Amino acid sequence: MEAILRVDGVSKKFGGLMALSDVTFDVARGRILGLIGPNGAGKTTMFNCVAGLYRPTEGTIVFRPGARDQQVQGEKPEKMTALGVARTFQNIRLFSSLTVLDNVRIGRHCRTFSNFFGAVLRTRAQRAEEKRIIDDAMQWLDFVGLGGNALQSAASLSYGDQRRLEIARALATDPKLLLLDEPAAGMNPKETESLVDLVYAILEKDVTVVLIEHDMKLVMRICEHLVVLDHGVKIAEGAPAAIRENPEVIEAYLGKGAAHA
Amino acid sequence: MRGVTALLGPLKYLLLAAALAYPLTPVSDVYVLHVLVLIMVYMVLAMGLNIMPGFCGLLDLGYVGFYGIGAYTAGLLTLNYDLSFWVIVPLAVVNGALWGVILGAPTLRLVGDYFAIVTFGFSELVVLFLTNEIWLTRGPLGLPGIAPVSLDLSWLSTLLHPEWNWRYDFYGETPYYYLGFLMVTVIYVVMRRVEDSRLGRAWLAIREDPMAAASSGVNLFEYKIIAFAVSSGIGALAGAFFARWTMFLSPDMFKFWESFLVLCMVVLGGLGNIRGALIGAAVLISLGEVLRVVLPGLGLPAETRFLAYGLIMVLIMRFRPGGFFTAVAESTLTSPLIMDLRRTLAARKTG
Ligand SMILES: Nc1ncnc2c1ncn2[C@@H]1O[C@H](COP(=O)(O)OP(=O)(O)OP(=O)(O)O)[C@@H](O)[C@H]1O
Ligand SMILES: [Mg+2]
Repeated sequence: MEAILRVDGVSKKFGGLMALSDVTFDVARGRILGLIGPNGAGKTTMFNCVAGLYRPTEGTIVFRPGARDQQVQGEKPEKMTALGVARTFQNIRLFSSLTVLDNVRIGRHCRTFSNFFGAVLRTRAQRAEEKRIIDDAMQWLDFVGLGGNALQSAASLSYGDQRRLEIARALATDPKLLLLDEPAAGMNPKETESLVDLVYAILEKDVTVVLIEHDMKLVMRICEHLVVLDHGVKIAEGAPAAIRENPEVIEAYLGKGAAHA
Repeated sequence: MRGVTALLGPLKYLLLAAALAYPLTPVSDVYVLHVLVLIMVYMVLAMGLNIMPGFCGLLDLGYVGFYGIGAYTAGLLTLNYDLSFWVIVPLAVVNGALWGVILGAPTLRLVGDYFAIVTFGFSELVVLFLTNEIWLTRGPLGLPGIAPVSLDLSWLSTLLHPEWNWRYDFYGETPYYYLGFLMVTVIYVVMRRVEDSRLGRAWLAIREDPMAAASSGVNLFEYKIIAFAVSSGIGALAGAFFARWTMFLSPDMFKFWESFLVLCMVVLGGLGNIRGALIGAAVLISLGEVLRVVLPGLGLPAETRFLAYGLIMVLIMRFRPGGFFTAVAESTLTSPLIMDLRRTLAARKTG
């Protein structure tokens, strides 16, 4: 199995706190990997390291968008986005005074080119690009089912729709790897169900997905491979069935998620 | 309600026509014209500053520094080299933008308050420079005798006919009124177009959420630098106009208070709203003129008007924190492409 992302010995220290210590795992291309663990385990920190928000204290991260490996630890977030890593945030971060469409249009930023002079002079190339940006953005909005809400303000969307909009914005950057940080948090069962369909549809588009999720039922159902973190340490890795039986994992979750895992 | 909106469209053009015709009517008054030109200068300043706190969420407390750079660039080039206004304008704009980049490059990586402090320091530095580098700026004596704007087409007219001399010098307020009108219109159109573009969206994304903007692929540093350069260039443009209009410059015209005043205009009008910047400028300059008459009548020095501005800011924050107009990215909603999309969506809903 070819890896699209290799996380190798990554540690991240915040002052005296080891948020991640020596974590190693691979993400297989075209699959869904679940990143799980109790609160404060370091899952979001791992995303931030991969997405370029944090520079790992130690270790390497190798991204392989196409045929060539690239060491990417410590790259800037916009560089990671340009390379093909997109992400959503645990606590939704939309551009909330802007429209739904504008949010997704901003996602097209890294794939488009027009500058100040194009904007002021409204050159033919700039106008054609603007048209293309709208078409692409609308295509992604329709993909997540928000096409009809395009001209609404982003803040006016329901919680579940805001999560979808964040996914649409991430997809608009044409990622190869999509990092979803607790996308089902705060969703009702129906919304969660359509999220599952959406994740499968994203896989169909040749995008690899890494999912952080506390909803164990959901994780066990859609992930083919799980990595379990606890206190910054990888304590287990494998297929959902094996993880469920793993005594260390059960212990980490004991009294919290173990019962319904 | 629909009737009112339908009326507003034509009313807008009527007002515009009235504004354009005003200096030519018998009721026109030199003092009123002077104030109106001053309002136009501040409209340009407010639109330019708006880019920083309004579009990018960056507090720029030193905007007057760029205004001063533009004014002195224009003043010195006129006095020393007798350059035409039309050559000076691009030079002043480029000089302002250049200083924006020079100041922004090391400081725009700083977050939040540091940037505000650095810009504040910069504008003080500009005033110190203008005051102390007497060999260049004549210091506190200022620069008197700057030539007015002229439109010199004699090179063309003499080609056509040896006795024709197409040269027009801007004396009095009326020509500056029209020149100012042109300047405001151009900057307004530029700002509207930028707002509804890839660049404007990137700026607004930075204002809304820098972390999400970066994760959407916006290079924060690069786009803040562009914002600062454009903003500073526009400030310098207003300065160049100001220099050739008042024909006199002195360092104390560019004190910190001016930055504060322009910032008040932007906040009053609504951060990020271009029309708001225009309204804010009109309101505060008019108010300033009223206070200039009223305050001495009350036995207070004219400088106390800044207390009044401060009071207005407090009231705005308390009762209408968004300013007059709270909408951002207004021009986006009426652009032809979006209107097309609106129709498509409506058709989709019914069909
Ligand atoms: N920027 C930061 N500065 C200091 N400490 C941090 C920072 N970010 C995270 N931490 C700490 O690192 C640890 C891991 O946090 P992280 O957010 O990665 O956990 P998580 O697995 O995502 O948890 P949750 O399930 O609650 O989202 C926590 O103890 C957290 O307090
Ligand atoms: Mg988290």
